[in-house]
Amino acid sequence: MGWGYQETMNDFVMVASGVLILIGMTAAIFNRDPFDKLISLSVLIAGVFPFIVERGFLDVAIATALIAPLSTIFTLMVCRRVRI
Amino acid sequence: MTAELYTPEFVIGLLVLFIGTIAAAFPRPKNYLTQLINLEIPGWGLLLVMLHYNEALALFTFAAVSVLSTYIFVRVMQKKEGIG
Repeated sequence: MGWGYQETMNDFVMVASGVLILIGMTAAIFNRDPFDKLISLSVLIAGVFPFIVERGFLDVAIATALIAPLSTIFTLMVCRRVRI
Repeated sequence: MTAELYTPEFVIGLLVLFIGTIAAAFPRPKNYLTQLINLEIPGWGLLLVMLHYNEALALFTFAAVSVLSTYIFVRVMQKKEGIG
């Protein structure tokens, strides 16, 4: 019963992650430069990971953390080609 | 298999899924690159909704196939622009 230090910190981290997701989504939609959009998308992805870890899916968190940057690399490839 | 009704990741996931779909359907600078980057936003929203239903295998598969489809889209864009 009551709010120990652990529960308070957990709730704080979860609220911060939710705010991070919403800020990243808004910035990714309203930025116009592709590089800015990619950086904002990374902010969104960083906000998603604490939710996966909080559920206890550490294996999914590892796999997603390894796979997700590949998408950014592929998009960056076409970013550079279009600009030149 | 019954989950609790409104977990934070379910609400945030639905919000990101809905707004991201609208952003992917009507991209602001109307080109392929913006649409491709905006298409990644509802993918993360869908991942949060899958997390709410405790579907670990679906999370694995969706993360992997999403990156694969991004690579294919990038290749198609390079062919269409006549570079690469």
